[in-house]
Amino acid sequence: MTKRLSLAIALLTAIAAIGGLIGFQGGVPSPSEAVAAAEGAEKIPAPPQTSATPWTAPDQEAAKKRAQEFVPFVEAVMEECDLCRQMRLRETGLGIKDITNSYFLLDSPIIKKTEDLYGPVRFKHSKHASQLKDCALCHHRRPLDAKAKETTRCSACHQEAFRSDQPERLGLKAAFHQQCTGCHQEMQKGPTDCLGCHRKNVPDHKELVKLPEKPEPTQVTQECLRCHKAAGEDMLKTAHWLWKGPSPYTLNRSKHVEHGKATSAVNNF
Amino acid sequence: MQLSRRGFFKVAGAAGAGVAASTRPAEAWQSRAPADPQGCLVDLTRCIGCRKCEQGCQTVNRLPAPEQPFDDLTVLDKKRRPDERTYTVINRYYPGRRDERDQLVPTFVKVQCMHCQDPACASACIVGALTKKENGAVHYDVTKCIGCRYCMVACPFEIPAYEYRDPITPRVMKCTFCYERVEKEGKRPGCAEICPVEAITFGRRSTLLKIARNRIKSNPASYVDRVYGEHEAGGTSWLYLSGVPFDRVGFIDVPHRPLTQLAESIQSSLFSYMWSPIVLFGMLSGVMWAFRNKGDRDTREKGGQP
Repeated sequence: MTKRLSLAIALLTAIAAIGGLIGFQGGVPSPSEAVAAAEGAEKIPAPPQTSATPWTAPDQEAAKKRAQEFVPFVEAVMEECDLCRQMRLRETGLGIKDITNSYFLLDSPIIKKTEDLYGPVRFKHSKHASQLKDCALCHHRRPLDAKAKETTRCSACHQEAFRSDQPERLGLKAAFHQQCTGCHQEMQKGPTDCLGCHRKNVPDHKELVKLPEKPEPTQVTQECLRCHKAAGEDMLKTAHWLWKGPSPYTLNRSKHVEHGKATSAVNNF
Repeated sequence: MQLSRRGFFKVAGAAGAGVAASTRPAEAWQSRAPADPQGCLVDLTRCIGCRKCEQGCQTVNRLPAPEQPFDDLTVLDKKRRPDERTYTVINRYYPGRRDERDQLVPTFVKVQCMHCQDPACASACIVGALTKKENGAVHYDVTKCIGCRYCMVACPFEIPAYEYRDPITPRVMKCTFCYERVEKEGKRPGCAEICPVEAITFGRRSTLLKIARNRIKSNPASYVDRVYGEHEAGGTSWLYLSGVPFDRVGFIDVPHRPLTQLAESIQSSLFSYMWSPIVLFGMLSGVMWAFRNKGDRDTREKGGQP
């Protein structure tokens, strides 16, 4: 017994010595600290300290800000054929190196003015440019004004739909959709369905869900199924609902029981 | 007085001729279409069949929610019609064109009220519940409607639907062209506003026709050279452009004259200056006059030979 105690003391002193060497403070808790720790253990531990502002990606923030910018409307564009435009752009030497913003969030207030069904599309400008190597595919016209830059944003020319002064000009939403989907289809690359590019804005369920003060679990399920009927039917065909298997703990395996939600489990609603 | 058969026709003919001579021939039928209404141009080559227009319509007009959600595209597997719960539907057709992967290319067709320039439904309506408005909408006034459903019979596109399942306050249901929204709030129709690809262009009908002609001209390979609705039924506020012949994607052949023309000219020529009732009653009174002594003769005969 004494031998074991002396061993423990030797160990502790060794730890203290090492702690002192590498600058580890408080390696051995003092008695008062130990008491405090014991009291703290009984309480619910405080959540880890988080800073007041959560971490944000700087380029995402910049893209968000950029999406809100208003660009003055380009009234007139230069009329030239697609090939002429392509060749002229190539001659000017404009290319990937001239890209100022490699990432855009297509979240213009022009579109949101009329509807807000889907979240913004994240558009990787540089990636598209480096794969296509042809700016003229998207930047298909230039402003007529000679002082303007060769390429502008989509929202400079395409803003509100059905302008009476520009009846042939597409609105921003249609311009995006026609340009992106058309090209993706043609190239057989990239998403062509709604959810491939943007996430659906889920409506606020606070108003939609109607439940009593203290609902039964079955009432909650019923309320979900009121709108999501198909999701309920799908659930009945999933492995979560239909799992079963042999029970290895049946005595001597004399009675082979296929146990599981599909057979004998009780929490089937 | 004994009236011979010849004598009767003399009297009746004279009465009829006298009335007919006093009236001028019926005036030629005149269209009451608004000069430059608003309309929509549906470009079937642009439509992707996403059913967002149905959703926009349902939201804007506060129609009942559909049985299957709007993002469920399996409903396109069968042809649908606008009914009393939906003002507009999208149908999918496979007109036969194949893409480079040998897949049939679908064409999606939006169906709704065409808002004719001279609407047959409004002409058939006996209480004036349906009227053609200055902005192009064929407007339905539920307070005037008596539920005779003549509009449903008259419509060449078979659009108006009736709330048969509502026994107390049934209404005729059809696309309103978002009349209140367009006229009072200055907005666009719900379907046109929500369309993600601007397959529906909203504007003045004359502008839309110009746009349509321009699109055909600048891209003749993608379009058939016809704007459905330019002349159909005397012109409609909704116009269609297609890349495939219209009869292959469910469009019906409608006469190019206003459908109201024949019925209204017959009716107006019959009733102008009320000549036909005057002739009718003139003839009848002639008959009565001619036979005025018949009863007397009977009594006289009886009296003469007791």
